[in-house]
Amino acid sequence: MGLREKLLDFKQRLSDRKMYSVVIIAIAIVAIWGIYQYKRAADLTQHINNQYNRAFYDMVGYVNNVDVLLIKSLISASPAKTASTLQEAWRQANLAQENLGQLPVSQQVLANTSKFLTQVGDLSYSLNNQNMQGKALTEEQYKTIEKLYGYASTLGKSLNELQTQINSGRIKWGELAQKGTPFFKKASAQMPSKQFENIDKTFQDYPTLIYDGPFSDHLAKAELKGLTGDVISVEEGKKRVMKLFNGNKSAVVEENGKNDSPPIKTYSYKVTFENADKNQTAIVDITQKGGHLYQMLYNKPVANAKIDVDQAKAMGKKFLDENGYKNMKDTYYLKEDSTAVINYAYEQNGVVAYPDLIKVKISLDDGEVLGFESRGYISSHSERKIPKPKISEKEARKLINPKVKILSSGFAIIPTEYKTEIYTYEFKGKLNGRDFLIYINAETGREENVLMILETPGGILTI
Amino acid sequence: MKRVKILSIVLAAAFVIISTIFYNSPFYAEGNGIGEEQMLARAINGEARGEPYEGQVAVGAVILNRTRDAAFPKSIAGVIYQPGAFTAVSDGQINVPIESNSSVVRAARDALNGWDPTNGCIYYWNPATATSNWIWSRQIVTKIGKHNFAK
Repeated sequence: MGLREKLLDFKQRLSDRKMYSVVIIAIAIVAIWGIYQYKRAADLTQHINNQYNRAFYDMVGYVNNVDVLLIKSLISASPAKTASTLQEAWRQANLAQENLGQLPVSQQVLANTSKFLTQVGDLSYSLNNQNMQGKALTEEQYKTIEKLYGYASTLGKSLNELQTQINSGRIKWGELAQKGTPFFKKASAQMPSKQFENIDKTFQDYPTLIYDGPFSDHLAKAELKGLTGDVISVEEGKKRVMKLFNGNKSAVVEENGKNDSPPIKTYSYKVTFENADKNQTAIVDITQKGGHLYQMLYNKPVANAKIDVDQAKAMGKKFLDENGYKNMKDTYYLKEDSTAVINYAYEQNGVVAYPDLIKVKISLDDGEVLGFESRGYISSHSERKIPKPKISEKEARKLINPKVKILSSGFAIIPTEYKTEIYTYEFKGKLNGRDFLIYINAETGREENVLMILETPGGILTI
Repeated sequence: MKRVKILSIVLAAAFVIISTIFYNSPFYAEGNGIGEEQMLARAINGEARGEPYEGQVAVGAVILNRTRDAAFPKSIAGVIYQPGAFTAVSDGQINVPIESNSSVVRAARDALNGWDPTNGCIYYWNPATATSNWIWSRQIVTKIGKHNFAK
């Protein structure tokens, strides 16, 4: 039957009255359903547009506030007042940045504006800290704030312009993604692309192993003190990897490209095992300079735990010794399923240098090393000149809140947000049933940091 | 004729009911109150399910690197839910429940514990499916599985 006959047949059937009403009813039901769905979609779109709306207006408000607060901080004469103004600028800049990230405009267009707001926040934060210690702004800092104020005013102006366009109905909220883009492009182009200050304070903190700043810029950009030695060849690096799997005769090492992007240039190797599943691989990165073991990730399946964390700590220590990392002391660990991630820090004459961090992941099934990461160590390790403390332990103890019950004490070198290190007394104390680590500067007596220890079923974390 | 009529009505009714259920019920479990590890694991699952293990860790690391980059939001949730940032979020794949012992959870953990096969990258894309030309202007640091990773 051809199409024409089919249609004719259908027409004939339609002429049956009952059939006719059935079709009408069916169409009506579908239409009602369609209207309902359309309305639902319209409601949702409206809801989302309202959210964008709020984020945008909030952001414009915060940017205008930052603008005012920056100029205010230049006017006030007392460090204390400047500190409180800058603190508010820090908060408002963060809120502006947060709302900016919620706009339906692509990230590459927003990038510079976002960076600018983060920098205003970071700079305000560090100057606020300085002012809280009673130090006034230097001439140079004064000029930097003036410059930032200029940028903030420009940004405020273009945002206000966009806001006017929206208010007058020339740009509809649904069109922000397309029509708003040129505005943000223009605004971003006016923002500085250079960094003012390299501190990262504003990111969200979550519990981690101690002093683990794995993703932070300050580690990535700092001078690499621990990256010593001569540049090696790919073949030499391969030998190094083979040595790691010495005990395993079935291990096959192949080159897996190299990473030439600074700061840490590496050779990458892929290790497969003849007697295992082909998805079971280890990726090992060796630094081009010095041939240091930089990173390893071995995705071997792990059965039930047979050894405890103390045995794992000893195995990790042995692994470090064998690979040229001497005097490493285990600090904190995290146990997950049948693996343990153990942090080791370099110990120099009884002083724990937390910046020289190496993480070792160990299988609690057979004690094999499943992961290794030495970015902290490579970034900051050196034999430090440790000064004689200017204040005694007794004096340092007196500087701690008398309500804290001190459990133990020691010496430590800790990293700061400003890419420096400080030599401190490390006290472990108890307050209201919670454990804390308190760091007192061994030279100035300043209370540098307080960390809370979280004891989780998997291990000990600090925040 | 009567049979045809009944059949049509039943079909129409079934169509309406099924469609309504399909559109109204949450297709996947709602992800309320899940921790960072879960959130990250779900994002990895949505973005890099069929990738080799280090490729999954790498996607997690990129998300974490973004939280530390001035040009991006500062929390894991902020980065993952940034409008248009990840296709797995736009199409709802992020809500697919995952088993606690799957490889994406282990990958999320390794990323949270500081393993970063990308060496600080903040972008990645699949050359076969990438639609943005702009992304090619970034400096490619490494290739893992199907993805290019860049700073």
